[in-house]
Amino acid sequence: MHRLRVYPKRFFWRVYWAALAASLILDGVWLYSHAVHYHFEFQYFPEFFALFGFIGCMLLILIAKGMGLFIVKEEDYYEKRFEKGNPVK
Amino acid sequence: MTAWVHPGMVIALGGLLIPFIPWRVVKQAYFLMLPLAGLALLVLTSSGMFGDVPAFPESFRPFSLPFLDYTLHPVRIHHLSLLFAYVYVIAAFCMNIYALGVKNDWEHTAAMIYVGSALGAVFAGDLLTLFFCLEIMSWAPFFLLLFRGTKKAMGAAIRYVLWHHFSGVCILAGILMHIHATGSLEFGPMPWGYEKTHLGSQLMLFGFLVNAATAPFHSWLADSYSEATPSGSVYMTAYTTKTAVFCLIIAFSGVKLLMWAGVASAVFSVFMAVLENDGRRLLSYHIVSQVGYMVCGVGIGTAMAVNGAAAHAFCHIIYKALLYMGVGCPLLVVGTSKFHELGGLYRYMPIAFWLTIIGGFSISAFPLFSGFISKTMTIEAAERIHEPIVYLMLEGASIGTFLHTGLKLPWNIWLQGRTEPPPEVRSRLNDSAVNTPVHMLAAMGILAFLCIFLGVYPKILYDMLPYPVEFVPFTLTRVFSITQMFIFTFLGFWVLRRLVKGYPGYVLDTDWLVRIPGGCLLRFCTGPLQRMGARLDRMGKRAADRIVHALRNPETEAALNPSLAGAGILAALILFVFFIARHL
Repeated sequence: MHRLRVYPKRFFWRVYWAALAASLILDGVWLYSHAVHYHFEFQYFPEFFALFGFIGCMLLILIAKGMGLFIVKEEDYYEKRFEKGNPVK
Repeated sequence: MTAWVHPGMVIALGGLLIPFIPWRVVKQAYFLMLPLAGLALLVLTSSGMFGDVPAFPESFRPFSLPFLDYTLHPVRIHHLSLLFAYVYVIAAFCMNIYALGVKNDWEHTAAMIYVGSALGAVFAGDLLTLFFCLEIMSWAPFFLLLFRGTKKAMGAAIRYVLWHHFSGVCILAGILMHIHATGSLEFGPMPWGYEKTHLGSQLMLFGFLVNAATAPFHSWLADSYSEATPSGSVYMTAYTTKTAVFCLIIAFSGVKLLMWAGVASAVFSVFMAVLENDGRRLLSYHIVSQVGYMVCGVGIGTAMAVNGAAAHAFCHIIYKALLYMGVGCPLLVVGTSKFHELGGLYRYMPIAFWLTIIGGFSISAFPLFSGFISKTMTIEAAERIHEPIVYLMLEGASIGTFLHTGLKLPWNIWLQGRTEPPPEVRSRLNDSAVNTPVHMLAAMGILAFLCIFLGVYPKILYDMLPYPVEFVPFTLTRVFSITQMFIFTFLGFWVLRRLVKGYPGYVLDTDWLVRIPGGCLLRFCTGPLQRMGARLDRMGKRAADRIVHALRNPETEAALNPSLAGAGILAALILFVFFIARHL
């Protein structure tokens, strides 16, 4: 019998906040010391990838939720329509 | 020199024997041996036992067949086909381990014919062999869907076949036009242009795009892959779309239209995935998205981009099979993959959770996982041709991929902030941390190992790519930028996690146009239009009968009434107008 465990929540959050802080600091340091080389100008904007990830993720969810108002229907959307005597099965 | 044996033939024909083997253990061993036999043949081919395989695009053709006035080359081996063939058989081996528990032997047969025909397609040297293999490939998954046994699956199976016959007819028409125009059956780079003279190529490209599930012709994928049997859907993820990508690489490398089609596909399906409540449908949208990267790479057409597309196809088959297997675990054990019915499974299936997370990190292109060494190649190719929009959209799609497959999917199935699953799910689970059958975990374990192995040691894959690789994946810039982006994607996810929680619903896709207005059109045609046609037919016939009757009878001829004469004149007029219109 294997032991039932819950997921390592506290450990995860500690690592996460540490990584987040480290990434913010390292971005500044490496950008200042010219250790990173990008292809486009806009990528040199301070904390570009942090902003892109965060804002991109939020926008993605919010825009999709907006789309969802129109395209999310009940689970048996097609079944209901086909049972009304539609010959297309 | 020994004659070449086709690994696809071995697997497909070998698969036909599975139901006739009497002992279950022997049957299972035989089922596992089939892809291994294919792999052995491929290793022997690479080692030059049957003849030297020259550098791409040159190829080795073991034999040819005369056919009418043409010569068929059913087999053409080059480094690109070998790359695809290797991943096909490696994935098939793991999928077979996963499917060992399936009781229906014919499901195994269908799967093996599917794998065999996919191998046939990547080794096809002429267009007719290619078409033949693609047609078999469109029928084999039909059975994988049918064996699920539900009414929904049956509908999805029929729609799947209809979509693929539609694309098949486009490809066949394109092939015939191409043969007519050039007199060549060779499956190589096709002439491309937007003029009428290239209609054959255009039709072929369109057919391949439908097969590759490029938006807006992608809806068949989510519709069918989410309805197949748990193990059947794992097979389906790998072969159809990747074979289409292979065909695009061979025939339409560098067609700019593909670049934009791929980018649109990659981004669009990520939006759709936000709304999905079903694990397998969510992953289906991510196939569309990832294939979008490959199609984009083919469209960019530089050596690096084509290498990127091929490498990404290789990695994608492995991690996507792993992800589908991960979702297949709750589906098989508790009978659902819908997010609103799941959550809190971690205590009962932790191994499946961690293995799925590895798949999620791989598809998101996290450093040290397989997607990182392939997806970044396509993105770098977009950067090198100075296409900032393509770059931003591809990176944006990566955010979405991590958000859904790395975060939303595992969170909704295994966590959702709960330590216990809902009571109805809990009642189907044992008090054990291993609720999933061991063979399924073993298959996932092998794939997860491959994901990490390729991510850590990409050289083995880079050496197999068609063109020499000048790409270094692990640079400080790339590793740092992607890691930081994902750390902050997680933050965005955590802030809005309530919005990505599963709730019951069905997301309409572009197939709505075919299914509802198209259904109405069909209903109109088979109902009112047909009735009106029959009535017109009857009226015309009656009028004609009366005229004939009147003309043959001298007594009534004298008494021709005006209405009859009118009908005759009208009929003559209609005929006249029809005649004029035809000859104008």
